Amino acid sequence: MTDLYLRDRWFEDLPVGEFHVFGSHTFSELEIVEFAESFDPRPESTDPDQARLNHRQGLVASPWLVTAMWMRKMVDYMEVYAQGVNDGRRNGAGVAINDLQWLEPVRPGHTLTYTYEIIAKPDRVIREKWGLIRSRNEAFNQYNNKVMQFEIDILAERQPQESDDSQQ
Amino acid sequence: MATPYSSDHLESNSIDLNKNAIVAFASRFDPQPYHLDADAADQSIFGGLCASGWHIAALATRLVIETLLDNGLPFVEMTSVSQLRWRQPTFVNEQISVRVALGESLEESPIPDTRCQRLEIEVCNGNGAVVATMTASAAIASEPALVAST
Repeated sequence: MTDLYLRDRWFEDLPVGEFHVFGSHTFSELEIVEFAESFDPRPESTDPDQARLNHRQGLVASPWLVTAMWMRKMVDYMEVYAQGVNDGRRNGAGVAINDLQWLEPVRPGHTLTYTYEIIAKPDRVIREKWGLIRSRNEAFNQYNNKVMQFEIDILAERQPQESDDSQQ
Repeated sequence: MATPYSSDHLESNSIDLNKNAIVAFASRFDPQPYHLDADAADQSIFGGLCASGWHIAALATRLVIETLLDNGLPFVEMTSVSQLRWRQPTFVNEQISVRVALGESLEESPIPDTRCQRLEIEVCNGNGAVVATMTASAAIASEPALVAST
C-alpha cells in the first residue's frame, strides 16, 4: 500500500466528490454549560434548572459549540489522516461560510457525527498561491437526524509551477 | 409588516481578547499552530498569533445577544447564518465589538412563539476595522415589544 496522505496533495490533487467522516463527539452537560458561560451566559442557557423553563425545555448546546466541535474534529482527523497539521498546505485557513443552519437542538448526552464533502473548486487564485476548496459539512445525531449543515471555503496551496523562472 | 426597529443600527460593548483566551479556545476547538504558538504563527499565513475564526463568531454572537436584549428585543436563539466572512485576523490584545443592523422580520420562524429577525452584523476591532461580517437569522420572542426605541 502506498503512503498516500492528504498532506502530499496540492489544491490540484483534491477531487470534487471526496468525502470524509471526521468522527463523533458526545456532548456533556459540563461542556455545554462551560461554553454557554463564555458565549451565552443567560441563566436559561447555563443553569439546568432554569433551562427547563426555556423554549427547549432543557439545556441545549450553543449553536457555536456544535460548529466549533466540527473544527476540532477536522483538525484531529487531519492530524491522523494527513500525518500532522504543521504542513502549510493543511493550514490555509477558512475564509467564508455559507448557508449555516442549526436544524435540531443538541442536548447533553447527544452524539454527533461530522461529515465533509468537497463540492466545488471555485476558479480563483488568492495571493498568488492559494486555491479555494468548497466543502459541504453536516452533523448527524444518534438518531441519524441532521442537526447542522454549512458550506465553507478553505484555502489550499496550489502546486508551484516548476517552469516559473521568476521565483524570488 | 413593518417593525419598529427596521432603521435601527445597534452598537455593542467591546470585549478584550487576550492571549490566554485565544489559546484556551484554540486548544479546545481549533488547535492549529497559528492559534497556539507565537513563533509558528509568525511564519504562518496570518503572520502572528490570532484568534480562531470560530472564537470570533461565538464572541460576536454573545455581543449580539447582549445588544438585542439591551434594546428590548427578547432574543431566543440564533437559527442560521446565511453568510459569514472572515476578512482579517484578530491578533492578541485586540478588542472586538459588533454593529448590528436589523433587516427584515418574518412571521415564520422555526421556533414556536417567535418571529425571525434578519441581522446584518459587522465585527470590528479596536481600530474600527471590520474583521468579519455575518448575516444571521435570530428567533425573537413574539410578545409585544416592551421597550420603545428612543
